[in-house]
Amino acid sequence: MSHHLVEARELHFTYPDGTPALRGVSFRITHGEAVALVGANGAGKSTLLQHLTGCLLPAAGSLLIGDVYLDKKTRPVIRRTVGMVFQDPDDQLFMPTVGEDVAFGPLNLGLPPAEAQRRVREALAAVGAEHLIDRPSYKLSGGEKRAASIATVLAMSPNILVLDEPSSNLDPRGRRLLIEMLQTFTHTKIIATHDLDLVLDLCPRTIVLHRGIVAADGPTEAIMNDEALLRECRLEKPLRLQFRPAT
Amino acid sequence: MSAIESQFFALGETDRLARQDTPLHRLDGRAKLLATLAFLVTVVSFDRYELSALTPFVVFPVALCLGGNVPGRWLWRKILFAAPFAVLIGIFNPLLDRQPLLMIGGLPISGGWISFASILLRFTLTVAAALALTAVTGFNNVCLALRRLGVPRAFVVQLLLLHRYLFVLVEETMSLVRARALRSCGRGTSLREFGSLTGHLLLRTLDRAQRVHQAMSCRGFAGAMPALRPARFGGREIVFVLGWTSLFVALRWVNVSRWLGATVLGWWS
Amino acid sequence: MHMADALLSPAVGGAMWAATAGLIVYSSRKLTLEADDKKIPLMGVTAAFVFAAQMINFTIPATGSSGHLGGGLILAVLLGPHAAFLAMASVLTVQALFFADGGLLALGCNIFNLGFFSCFVAYPLIFKPLAAANPTQGRIVGGSLLAAVVGLQLGAFGVVLETLLSGITALPFSSFVLLMQPIHLAIGIVEGLTTAAVVLFVWQARPEIVAAAAQAKPVGPLSLRKVLVGLAAATVLTGVVFSWFASGQPDGLEWSMFKTSGREELAAPAAGVHESLAGVQEKTALLPDYGFPAGEEEGAAEEAEAWPAVSAGTSVAGLVGSLLTLTLAVLAALALRRRRAAVVAGTR
Repeated sequence: MSHHLVEARELHFTYPDGTPALRGVSFRITHGEAVALVGANGAGKSTLLQHLTGCLLPAAGSLLIGDVYLDKKTRPVIRRTVGMVFQDPDDQLFMPTVGEDVAFGPLNLGLPPAEAQRRVREALAAVGAEHLIDRPSYKLSGGEKRAASIATVLAMSPNILVLDEPSSNLDPRGRRLLIEMLQTFTHTKIIATHDLDLVLDLCPRTIVLHRGIVAADGPTEAIMNDEALLRECRLEKPLRLQFRPAT
Repeated sequence: MSAIESQFFALGETDRLARQDTPLHRLDGRAKLLATLAFLVTVVSFDRYELSALTPFVVFPVALCLGGNVPGRWLWRKILFAAPFAVLIGIFNPLLDRQPLLMIGGLPISGGWISFASILLRFTLTVAAALALTAVTGFNNVCLALRRLGVPRAFVVQLLLLHRYLFVLVEETMSLVRARALRSCGRGTSLREFGSLTGHLLLRTLDRAQRVHQAMSCRGFAGAMPALRPARFGGREIVFVLGWTSLFVALRWVNVSRWLGATVLGWWS
Repeated sequence: MHMADALLSPAVGGAMWAATAGLIVYSSRKLTLEADDKKIPLMGVTAAFVFAAQMINFTIPATGSSGHLGGGLILAVLLGPHAAFLAMASVLTVQALFFADGGLLALGCNIFNLGFFSCFVAYPLIFKPLAAANPTQGRIVGGSLLAAVVGLQLGAFGVVLETLLSGITALPFSSFVLLMQPIHLAIGIVEGLTTAAVVLFVWQARPEIVAAAAQAKPVGPLSLRKVLVGLAAATVLTGVVFSWFASGQPDGLEWSMFKTSGREELAAPAAGVHESLAGVQEKTALLPDYGFPAGEEEGAAEEAEAWPAVSAGTSVAGLVGSLLTLTLAVLAALALRRRRAAVVAGTR
């Protein structure tokens, strides 16, 4: 099923102020995979995510999403395949009420209002937030905002779900609910996060970015136990693997 | 609590009141807006020395508060808070207009004092009506009503986005100001510090605007905000608007207070 | 300073609303034609910024008082005239609805005073030519100061005219001007300095922002002139129409009309309205001697500010009645509220 494929080949990108953010990133993610994207601050995670949604275009290299290569013209098509959940939910909730925010995407896709409403209810149900449908966005708690922003993306029925630091600013219960919710999603998932324990729960595969290139790409278990690699990439073992038996 | 924080809570309070569920709240926003406009136009159409004819108009804001479950004390506090400019300008009336217009038991009262009292009364009435309108309609519904009454979409969208991001930005500002205050040891902010504080806030705002735009584009936005919810302007709304407008017109032409006072004085004497 | 409903007459309020509405429609249309979808979130968020930034105070040295940003000029710098006007209008609308900062009728005046002059006059005619082309520190400060001062002076003068034409205040023109203009000179200087401070900071941190803003297409001079002429016509027309329907003649408007067109055109309809008012009052008043002194009608056009019925008895009746009305209203409200609370408590 090629429409779930994400293939990056030697992606390069430099910011206008000269900062090289991606210096040759390559990977291949197939249908239904759940992949974690980890790395230090400034490693290039956010830049890579912005490429996945077409918000940035590569200076060199190619990005294939589904059967379409990313360029200016194919951006709208790619945005129907990839749904991104932003790090700051406030950036994603810009309509007066949650229901209208979730309906924004479907309506822009051209769906008739009744169908859009159905999608809204489904999406909110998937995140457990049906009761928030008429709530104004600023009246939500951190966890509720997070759930609402995920719903806004789900309503567009993307095949690939990209999440940027989804567990940040969530209390433990909210975080647990988020993990349980994401475990039920069958989309291809790409999750950029510092929360390595979440990675252990959700993503069998991990890509480690370091200074704009892929430092490691493989099974999560293996990577999370490779202390030397983690240290070099300014990371640490996940908390639950850090247990030191008392001697 | 600093001024910023109290303003922040004030914003939220009005919206909270607006989210209550009463028959008045359920009425279409257009009806409430039109009735309020009729009220305002009638109140300001009075002569500058008119005082007694104005007082019966208090029935409209009172009715809105009762019907919409808006606390009178809350409204009163906001009226007082907003009073300064009108008082400041109005106070010149008694100073400049000394011609006596009224005698109460031998004490002459100048026209200036009467017009000053009229200004204060007008102020209370108009401000009460505006605040009560927002509290029983809600900002979003006011915007919807404006759109349906023909206000250009670009402006209505602007109002909605402003309202949406107001809270976010005020919170950020509160954070900034608090952080500065904690390290300022009581010193005030210099112009240069102000430029830097506000400049940082502006840069973060511009970044946020870009992110919001990205979020919109990722969900298919190409320049047109989707159509807003439909709503009915039915029998109840028509009755509301016509009823109140007729009352205002009647009160404009008939001075109920004077009639009442004359009657009571008539019994008394 | 914001105009308040309490000082406004329907004629002036209506006229200014006509002008403002016209500008809103014009700006909205221009914005839609520009079709820059980046501007929409930018306008919303920077308007919120201005609102929030007004809460950041700085201490003015040697006075001990504090100043803050107004926002019209910096919005114009960031967004261009039309978008900035809409943004400013939205900020004022929220202030009117949530904080009663200026009334809803006076909103038309306020948007015009604070939006039009800074966005369509001060920015394109002063700041842009001075500072935008090749910005230096001096030019930015100088341009901001001059643009802010001029914009606010014009706005303040607008408030003076609107208040006087409404006729509710007793302040004569000269005193009012002497009161408003110097105060707004000070406010303008503060506005200029704060705007300059922010623009300088942004310019040093991210010069490309200032450069991009500077390159925005200028407002076509011809089309704006046409719009202004149309607006002026609409404003005057609305003012005249409203003053015909308003039963009280605002003395200020009448004064200016007298100066330009002669009294006769207004006296007839005004006297007619007064007459019918008198008729109604005679029919409904219970005190038979409470009447509308016939002799006052001729003088009404001149002494428009004099209260029609000046006999002591009725005026006292008016005061007594007012007190009674207010007391009744408050008592009724309290009683109804208590009853509702009891019902709610009873149903729990």
